[in-house]
Amino acid sequence: MAEAPDTPCLAVNGLVTGYDARNVLTGVSLSLKSGELVTVVGPNGHGKSTLLRAISGLLPVRKGSVSLNGNVISGLPAHRVAANGVIHVPQGDLLFAGMSVLENLLMGAYLDSDRAAVTRRLDEVFTLLPKLAERQTQIAASLSGGERRMVGIGRGLMMKGTVMLIDEPSLGLAPIIIEQIYDVITRLKASGRTILLVEENPARVADIADRIHLLDNGAFVWSGEPAVLLERDELLATYLGG
Amino acid sequence: MEIIGPVLVSGITTGALYALATLGLSLVWGSLGMLNMAHGTLLTIGGYAAFTAASQLGLPVPLAVLAAVIVGGLIGALIFVLVAYPLSRRSPETFETTIMIATFGVALTLENTVLRLYGGQPLGQPLSVPGAISLGAFVLPWQNLIIIVSAIALMGATALFLTRTKMGRAIRATAQNPDAAKLMGVPVAQVYLQVLILSGMLAGVCGVLVSSITQLSPSLGADPMLKAFIMCVVAGLGNLPGAIITSFGLAIVEALVQFLAGARWGFPALLAIVILVLIRRPGGLFGRVDVRRL
Repeated sequence: MAEAPDTPCLAVNGLVTGYDARNVLTGVSLSLKSGELVTVVGPNGHGKSTLLRAISGLLPVRKGSVSLNGNVISGLPAHRVAANGVIHVPQGDLLFAGMSVLENLLMGAYLDSDRAAVTRRLDEVFTLLPKLAERQTQIAASLSGGERRMVGIGRGLMMKGTVMLIDEPSLGLAPIIIEQIYDVITRLKASGRTILLVEENPARVADIADRIHLLDNGAFVWSGEPAVLLERDELLATYLGG
Repeated sequence: MEIIGPVLVSGITTGALYALATLGLSLVWGSLGMLNMAHGTLLTIGGYAAFTAASQLGLPVPLAVLAAVIVGGLIGALIFVLVAYPLSRRSPETFETTIMIATFGVALTLENTVLRLYGGQPLGQPLSVPGAISLGAFVLPWQNLIIIVSAIALMGATALFLTRTKMGRAIRATAQNPDAAKLMGVPVAQVYLQVLILSGMLAGVCGVLVSSITQLSPSLGADPMLKAFIMCVVAGLGNLPGAIITSFGLAIVEALVQFLAGARWGFPALLAIVILVLIRRPGGLFGRVDVRRL
């Protein structure tokens, strides 16, 4: 069935989820159109990563729904969410530590049986992230933090997907590496990728994000354009420590 | 050479069998965090399946071995579907303990079923090959050569499968990080099923090889299972290459101790080595203290 032209690529409606008896997200809604980059910012431990885990099916959705191109994907197991086109680059990379860089990248293409297409995408990843080509035989566990992050992004790019969820790509990295990572994300956005990005620092995404949602205590407390948020000193001071 | 030759042949043959038994056990532990206490019984059933196919149905040797592989794989699949999967879904926090107890129950049930079907009398495995090759003073029985070559070929094939195929990569990926594997689209439960089937198939062949130099009995798999567990612990749980190296090393040590000090000292010597290794390296020779998966 053809989707309506205004159907969002990804739509999250009234999402409630959490761990054990506690709800971490208490009713989050957002949507992304094709080619948009939307960022969720907020203090640590307030549900940013939980939101991405719920969208990708790693965490069950308790209430609300997640739709991809108009099809409800909440309730599906994570491997089927991935098969539907959600690419999740998780926080802390979640690499296959005992496998080589190349094997990690090939795991990204697990669902693709078209060898020529996989080889083509691998070439594209190596062009975008040339360091991975140099390190392709190296075991993932022996990589530096920045290289691991690159492998995580590269592995995501090896997947055939509609939406990329990228979780705090700058976490724990040196400023120069963060710059390189954001250069890659900027190029992904320019190439038309639809990206939901979780980040702590709104200034980092000011130039590339179409919208920012400020998440606090499991709910969005502010949504709008990045430039506007950066002018709201009281919001930055209250929720992001200035 | 006249004295040490047979000791080495015995040690390497036993090492090949231990390694093959350990491979399946370690594969399941490394992937699912599951100590399959029924692994030894899968060896027993493999041996009896080949015996039934060859002696009672009159099938040729390759088909008898194939029967052992199929029956081993089938029971491995049933253990996953009927026991491991429901337990992992119902109580993932206590899975490592409950699955050990549950598979111990499975082992007892299967062993008693074999006892009921075939009786307790030891039976001769018809797949033994008589004769030996003489290389000067060095005598290598054909059966030992077949065991060593078969075990090494199977371990090599398993290694190739795990490293060179998409399914093998998915098994390793799932063992290393199940959540990340799910995000790549890997159906993790299906991978666990494949691991149990593969482990059962390896156990089936191992049972045929063990029974070809001993005799078939309902408790055939108990000793290899115990030794395989020791090898896994000494190597570091879930470490496949380490388990194989350890199996050959300890089997040769065991054979030497048996030769020098008497047969009854072989097993105590193994246990002493386990204790010493665990005191010095609690994670095993090739493992890390905090590592429990492949």
